Amino acid sequence: MKLIRDNFQEKWKIRPDGYDKVTGSLKYLTDYSFPGMLYGKVLRSSYPHAKILSISTSKAEQLEGVFAVVTHKDVVGMNRFGLIFPDQPVLCEDVVRYVGDAVAAVAAESEEIADKAIELIEVEYEILEVIDDPETALIDSAVKLHPGGNILHRAGYKSSDDVMSAIDECPFIVEETYETPRQMHAYMETEGGVVVPEADGKITVYAATQHGFKDRMQLARILAMPESDIRVISSPIGGSFGGKDELNIQPYAALLAIKSNRPVKLHNKRIESVKAGIKRHPMKIKMITGAKENGLLVGHFVRITADTGAYATLGPAVLDFAVEHSTGPYRIQNVDIEGISVFTNNGVSGEFRGFGGNQVTFALESQIDRLAEILNIDPLKLREMNIREADDLGPLGQRIVANDGAKNVLEMIKSSPILTTPLKPKDKWRLRGKGAAITMHGGGLGFGRPDPSGARLSLTEEGKIEIAFGFEEFGQGLLATVEILLTDMLGCAKEDVKIVIGDTGIVPASGSSTASRSTNMIWQGINKLKGPWKNKLLNAASRISGVAVETLTLGENGVWEKGEKDKSVITYKELANRLKTELPVCSTQFHFPTTPDAVIGGHYLHTYAAVAVEVEVNQLTGQIKVTKLDHAVAAGPVVNPLGYLGQIEGGAIMGLGFTLFEDSLMENARYHTENFDSYIIPTIRDIPLSTNVYVDESLIENDVFGPRGVGEIGTVAVAPAITAAIHDACGLWVKKLPVSSEEILNALQTTSFSFYKQGVSE
Amino acid sequence: MKIDRFENSTNDRILENKIALNITINGRLYSLIIPPTYRLVDLLRKDLELTGTKISCEIGRCGSCSVLMNGNVVNSCLVMAYQANGMVIETIEQVSQENLHPIQQAFLEEGALQCGYCTPGMVIALKSLLDKNNQPTEEEVLDYLCGNLCRCTGYNGILRAVQRYKNESSAIFDNKTLE
Repeated sequence: MKLIRDNFQEKWKIRPDGYDKVTGSLKYLTDYSFPGMLYGKVLRSSYPHAKILSISTSKAEQLEGVFAVVTHKDVVGMNRFGLIFPDQPVLCEDVVRYVGDAVAAVAAESEEIADKAIELIEVEYEILEVIDDPETALIDSAVKLHPGGNILHRAGYKSSDDVMSAIDECPFIVEETYETPRQMHAYMETEGGVVVPEADGKITVYAATQHGFKDRMQLARILAMPESDIRVISSPIGGSFGGKDELNIQPYAALLAIKSNRPVKLHNKRIESVKAGIKRHPMKIKMITGAKENGLLVGHFVRITADTGAYATLGPAVLDFAVEHSTGPYRIQNVDIEGISVFTNNGVSGEFRGFGGNQVTFALESQIDRLAEILNIDPLKLREMNIREADDLGPLGQRIVANDGAKNVLEMIKSSPILTTPLKPKDKWRLRGKGAAITMHGGGLGFGRPDPSGARLSLTEEGKIEIAFGFEEFGQGLLATVEILLTDMLGCAKEDVKIVIGDTGIVPASGSSTASRSTNMIWQGINKLKGPWKNKLLNAASRISGVAVETLTLGENGVWEKGEKDKSVITYKELANRLKTELPVCSTQFHFPTTPDAVIGGHYLHTYAAVAVEVEVNQLTGQIKVTKLDHAVAAGPVVNPLGYLGQIEGGAIMGLGFTLFEDSLMENARYHTENFDSYIIPTIRDIPLSTNVYVDESLIENDVFGPRGVGEIGTVAVAPAITAAIHDACGLWVKKLPVSSEEILNALQTTSFSFYKQGVSE
Repeated sequence: MKIDRFENSTNDRILENKIALNITINGRLYSLIIPPTYRLVDLLRKDLELTGTKISCEIGRCGSCSVLMNGNVVNSCLVMAYQANGMVIETIEQVSQENLHPIQQAFLEEGALQCGYCTPGMVIALKSLLDKNNQPTEEEVLDYLCGNLCRCTGYNGILRAVQRYKNESSAIFDNKTLE
């Protein structure tokens, strides 16, 4: 079904935070000002790798208007942070390992004074050898960046012992090494916020994060404060895409606020955001894939090298995810996958929408297309021949929730007009091509990882039904999803609802707003609460009104008699007035569903997507223009059509950027691309004007897990679809992203391919 | 017209050469004394707390700080505050002071926003186009908006919003001619 308004009618709902966003009245956390507020700045490293010999802050401290200067000496707790391994210094004490490393921070009464104070801090360095490439880092004689060496993490999966000999026996083998870029999240709102010291010695942190409770835990360790003394307000956020899951400005603003006893605002400039912010892991992926004459995929050998940069953050989990998703939605008998995540002095790589899936999906789907060509089989037909069955085991041999999504998206995309309409050449200079790709994507953090969630429903004194989650709204449309699910499941009106999120002071812990988990966790949470909630409310209404409880039901504005449209028994407001001190509250704590098999990181719930694109290759400039893009997505029922559509469309264009333009270029571990003048994200001029999203809402009978999230899947399979279309247009097999115009022009020259495929009619 | 006096409290110490300017912002005349280093965006966000105007790239590439200066779109990160002396500035706060502008309503209906951080700039850029020409061609829309980056929507919703606006404003126009 096409995801358009006509097909969803009354489910097509305006988002509750929309009005405040279009009028500019919404306050983001970087928009706040407080009386007596100071401006913070962080001094970042001058070198990608150096020993710190001394730090002198006395000149900065003497500057009028400066209220606090902090270095590692001011970190009274643990001078480290990091979501998995706390290995990243808050303020470096002896060594800097990348250009984003923080050495000192200042708070002053204006940004100008703070800038001046930063210039006055004197740091003596002894420059060390730079490792700007994972392969160099792996050489035995390489400088060790961390005490444990240069390997952050290894991960692998083997289905049988001698995969290479199974491949060797295949008549059709494709071997290639693929490279993917250091993509930047490029959210419009750079990292920032304000930390406010409270009168009672506690602090309030107004700062963007995808997981307020995890920030609180990490800040408590750094500041040596009890968690209960720290309140993190973490919503709304001007975009994240995974980039604000790790701590960014919070520790610096907090240290400065505590030292100066004044509110401190810290809002990264774009250049600072580029240097210090995490990026998508650049990966080098070698794949050898073998197929029989009949098209059956028999063996798949994969070696992944990920550049994780200077610190761990979520590097291990990203690698695990890449390993798991290296075989995609295919049945392949012999699989041998190994990955390694390596420390370098480059920018820190971490979590990014797709979580390692994008890189390996580009490689895998390219392999399938190449095999299809040498087998002389239609690429979609080859996929169909090898596609997983609904109840097949997951890619790591783990049990997963049965689902026909893989077949369904393939079936849907086959009928996309992009693939069914014959191409005509645009003009003499522009070649056209079309291509498609598919993907399977796990939701949640995976087996063996703490992935708890929680929710709370309560009746407020004002008679509102308050739902509270620990999630954050960073644009994905979570508030709308909550509102829709709650009104649907409880039968109340949206006016009856009050949604509370993103504030550790008042919400239950729901885990991180990440890994496409929030929609599912919201559905699970309300599902678990609705029974006890109805009981409490109906019993109370019955007690007060004397009407038998069996005849009552919850509805808009209050409790009604069943089947009697005009018989209101009691409004929520009256109910709240009558109950006063005994306002009903229900809460729940639960865990993201995981596979029963002990496969660490293995996923249980999956979504599926297929992409078809049409491209034009300009033979004069080597430029690629994506002219059409269709997406087919299977993620269970569509809860919030407008949000779903936005996530898939937005994800697709982010995937287009990953394929065609985006790379945080580094040389000697320093960034060349420091802002949007050189780091190019798609503008409205770069998008396909013809685009459609088709959805498959079906779930296997008796599925108890409900709607899956779609936050990531729209980005994942776009790159291989585009590169397949480029191949179709001009014969070039792209193996390195982003695709460069030079490469296209070289290919056109050397293969004299330009007129081979389409001929040209003037 | 009301005149607000505003004395800047910060920067007193290192910025001795302050400058005075008169500037009309959202229909109010302000007499301000500001540091000479201030850009228009600093004046709006820091002094007047008009935070609907956003900052993102601060080099004129993303358009999130778009405001109208004498009716034309400018990146307020590239305009020095003193250059706005005597000018009429209109920010997102003014656009929706009474009712939503029809393009804002269309943004809501078509999901032309997600995180919303680029949205004020987008609305300002579109308003300036639609004020001049309320039935722009697709090419004109693309030209007008290619200086406003959005990382969330993929722009498709924004194009649908413009289409909706065009449909509705042409309907209004048709009705008027019928009368």
